Amino acid sequence: MTPVLVLERVTKRFAGHTAVDALSLTVPAGGIFGLLGPNGAGKTTTIRMILHIVLPDEGVVRLFGEAGSARDYSARIGYLPEERGLYRKMRVLDVLVFLAEMKGVERRAARASAEEWLERFGLADWRLRRVDELSKGMQQKVQFISTVLHKPSLVVLDEPFAGLDPVNAQVLKDAVLALREGGATVLFSTHIMEQAEKLCDALGIIVRGRLVASGALADIKRTSSRQHVIIGFAGDPGRAAVLFSDRALVAAVDDYGRYAELELAPGADPQRLLAELVGQGAPLSRFEIVEPSLHKIFLDLVGPEAAGEAPRA
Amino acid sequence: MRKVVAVVRREFVERVRSRWFWISSAIVPTLFGALLFLPAMLATGGAAKRLVVVDATDSGLGGSLAEALGGSGVFVATRIPAGAGVVDSLVREVGAKRLDGFVVLSEDAIASGDVQYRASNVSSLRDISELERVLSQVITVARLKRAGIDPAIMARAEQSIHLETEKISRSRTTGENAAQSFSLAYFMGIILYTVILMYGVNVKSSVLEEKTTRIVEVLVSSIRPFPLLLGKVVGVGAVSLLQLVLWVVLGRALLASRGLHGPELLGGVFEVPQISVATGTVFLAYFLGGFFIYSAMFAAVGAISSSEQEAQQAQQPIVLMLVASFLSMFVLLNDPGSKLSVALSLVPFTSPIAMPVRWAAGDLPPGEVAASLALLVAGIVGVTWVAARIYRVGILMTGKRPGVRELWRWVRAG
Repeated sequence: MTPVLVLERVTKRFAGHTAVDALSLTVPAGGIFGLLGPNGAGKTTTIRMILHIVLPDEGVVRLFGEAGSARDYSARIGYLPEERGLYRKMRVLDVLVFLAEMKGVERRAARASAEEWLERFGLADWRLRRVDELSKGMQQKVQFISTVLHKPSLVVLDEPFAGLDPVNAQVLKDAVLALREGGATVLFSTHIMEQAEKLCDALGIIVRGRLVASGALADIKRTSSRQHVIIGFAGDPGRAAVLFSDRALVAAVDDYGRYAELELAPGADPQRLLAELVGQGAPLSRFEIVEPSLHKIFLDLVGPEAAGEAPRA
Repeated sequence: MRKVVAVVRREFVERVRSRWFWISSAIVPTLFGALLFLPAMLATGGAAKRLVVVDATDSGLGGSLAEALGGSGVFVATRIPAGAGVVDSLVREVGAKRLDGFVVLSEDAIASGDVQYRASNVSSLRDISELERVLSQVITVARLKRAGIDPAIMARAEQSIHLETEKISRSRTTGENAAQSFSLAYFMGIILYTVILMYGVNVKSSVLEEKTTRIVEVLVSSIRPFPLLLGKVVGVGAVSLLQLVLWVVLGRALLASRGLHGPELLGGVFEVPQISVATGTVFLAYFLGGFFIYSAMFAAVGAISSSEQEAQQAQQPIVLMLVASFLSMFVLLNDPGSKLSVALSLVPFTSPIAMPVRWAAGDLPPGEVAASLALLVAGIVGVTWVAARIYRVGILMTGKRPGVRELWRWVRAG
């Protein structure tokens, strides 16, 4: 199946710094793709290049397997910008119809479909109200509707969960999952790892404008980070503790005496560790290989220096 | 194309739906009406001033002055003979507001022309000039009498001359007289200035709103910036045309009701102009041209600003150009044929106001109108080209407002 989106060595420089640096990325059709990175990593710039809002200095953006611009496919793409906003003085229904018309939907069809969506989000009574009479949460719902009203096959959401209260975040999460059920591809950016971990089928991690990891979530977990092992002892660990300082096997240890969390050295096999422990006659009560959280992987990849934020693009 | 239509429709419908559109539709003709009627009403309003003529003459001059003042309709005057303490008691009367003022007239006045006037209000130009007029008339008669000339001969000699003016347009008389030409030019100037400024600012606000809400990001991923800008300008322009039509209709209705007050109320300066088809066409052509050239600039201002305050600052040079064209109207009305007037009506930034004003004020060679229009069209194309390039970059830019050098880079960048 052709990927929905391919970026080939896309580069964007702004005065003084490179926001996106030779970034290559493939987003498969269907499913939810997370674009992860710390603030200022180049996520928004990447999204804006995908949407043809800014043009890359180098590289190619391919949508739906072709090298046309996003404007040519605007009917098939829905986009929710990072900073939200609607025409404040317009009526809710009129805003939705207008934005759908911009996507090439015929006026009457747009109206019918807008009514339907408003009903679904519990906003039917508000359809003739002005946007600025709505609460912030309602406005966010309206904006989400405007993003998906024209039934796009690729939905691009820039930090969709930023600033949402838990209730609205839940509503949005359900809506995103429903989009996937309907066969659409969802690309969203976030710096909240827990969300990405639960939602994404695949992801790409960007740090300082470069892609540092991408692929299916399980693959990234398998390859991108060191494995963690939790060990429990029934009695005195004895000579087993000496193993913990074997740097060929263990990179770091958090030792509590009868309980220890180990981070294995790169390439180290947890099975060997187990065999060694048993060989030393350690009274094991627990030996568990823990999958690292995306959060941990992210921190490992990004490195402590990236905690200091890059300038905003 | 369907997308452009949607943009035009949105701009039009949202504006016409707003309360402000209807308020300004009603207010402007009302204000114009007030400007027309108020001075006339104020001038005729107010009670006659109560004056006393203190007569120190023995030739009966005070009596004829009091009579003449009474006949002016502005004053009610009584003559009293001069005497000891008369002036002091009159001052008290004025202080007690039982009297508005008094004139002290001595025999000496005929020779020297010096007359004293004391009153509670000596700054009313109308009263003073009326008083001077009556005084000089009475004293002139007295002087003539003293010189032994029959005042009747003088009256015949002074028979006033009435200058009938009629504008000649393209070698034929139009029936518009000087007062009509003046008021037509004046009104066209004011209306052009008001509408171009008002709706230019509207275009700016519309651009700014889409930029600050980031809706523009969604829009430009669906429609190219230039058609978006075009749709906007056309939509707002259509609203401004509708507003004009409403103003004309309401204004006409208001002027029609003027008959109730009598035409003399308006004084001689403002008269209802007869708008010929040619004049209407010139007005409309320059209105559209002016609107396009200025709204393109206003759109660029909206695009390079990121807040209303910033835009207020950035629009200063453009507003100044408009104000300058508006003020140049007075030069134009004074001397429509001067070199400066010709220049003003050729330069595309001033011609949208200058040319219709000159057209209304006097006859113009068709070649000059054609040259001005051609320059205006060229100006629109050039300005729009530059503005569209600034717009395209500016709407997606965030942060600091760019300087002139930065803007120039945007314009040059393909």
